[in-house]
Amino acid sequence: MSVVGQCLAAFIFGSIVGFLVQRSRFCNTAALRDAMLFKTYRNTKALLVTMMILTVGFTTFMTFGDGHPLQFDVGINQVIGLFLFGIGMVLAGACTVSTWVKAGEGNVGAIWALLFTFIGMFLFSLVWSYTYWPPASATMTGEPNLTGLQFGFANAATLQEKTGIPALFFGLVQTAVLYAIYQAILRKERRIAEQRAPASKSVLETHIVVESKS
Amino acid sequence: MEFFKKTFDPVISLAIISVLNIFLFLTVGAWTVGGGETMMTGLIAEFFLGDELARIPFWDLVFKPDAGYWKIYISLGMLFGALIGALLSKEFYWRVPKHLSEWVMITIGGLLMGVGIRLAFVCNVSTFFGLTPQMNLGGYLSMTGIIAGAWVGSIIYKKVLES
Repeated sequence: MSVVGQCLAAFIFGSIVGFLVQRSRFCNTAALRDAMLFKTYRNTKALLVTMMILTVGFTTFMTFGDGHPLQFDVGINQVIGLFLFGIGMVLAGACTVSTWVKAGEGNVGAIWALLFTFIGMFLFSLVWSYTYWPPASATMTGEPNLTGLQFGFANAATLQEKTGIPALFFGLVQTAVLYAIYQAILRKERRIAEQRAPASKSVLETHIVVESKS
Repeated sequence: MEFFKKTFDPVISLAIISVLNIFLFLTVGAWTVGGGETMMTGLIAEFFLGDELARIPFWDLVFKPDAGYWKIYISLGMLFGALIGALLSKEFYWRVPKHLSEWVMITIGGLLMGVGIRLAFVCNVSTFFGLTPQMNLGGYLSMTGIIAGAWVGSIIYKKVLES
């Protein structure tokens, strides 16, 4: 596909995503934060359903060698990086998606968060230019690299290559695990609802306020 | 226009996004945001620094500024789509954080997100909607990190809210 075609496909995809996320109030940050802080699971359930659909979809096509899976070596830097990101997204009250979506709604705080994400990236580029860690993609081999704290590259396609079992099989196992988590959340929600049922209406109202905050 | 006043169901909305994401995966690659933001950072830095940018090896070895990088347009699309959604539902208005504590938290949060994305090569979108559904080892490493981070972040957030 030509560069213009790629960019156009990306823009159309992004526009639909932005519209649907704005209208549905989905937020990845809230999916994790609300489950931990407020025991509400509206966004967590949507996140799990998405991951189930995508796991089946991606591994189906990967079984036949189609699609464009992400290709780079992974290592300790993913854990540290996303740990910092996780703290950051809760403090900023927005993740990478909701900063753009909230900026589109006129949220000045989200635009400020984006600005500082850019500044953070630029500061990191300065640090990287001294440490050269994590390794640049050009130097990645796909094999474990202990000095660089890298584990190499592995996904559903490499599993299929090594075991001879179709990638889709592993995908279905992962989907079953995600579904079990989804069911556990539904059970927990029912328990919470039972506990709250005899309580007064004011409790219900605070619950709604918490939900709309996300 | 009554249709646009109701909040959409998040599960249905995200299911539609998932199907579109599979199409995008087949044409260019799965939904991601961090890479596009990095490229924007590079382009902005190039605009201000010009040739001086060549003195920072990162922008030569890892991300060479390139306006034709498709991931940038996902972010711009999200901004555009959200603006349309907000205008149709009459939800667009300028919201400014009122308290100094909010500004401080957003500033620190933004910086941590930027550094975290570059350190990990992925953002939350690639973690949940790219790497993990592809069963990439990095997806599980990233999920461990982001859940631990969100937990620590929630504790800090709660402390700040209470004070």
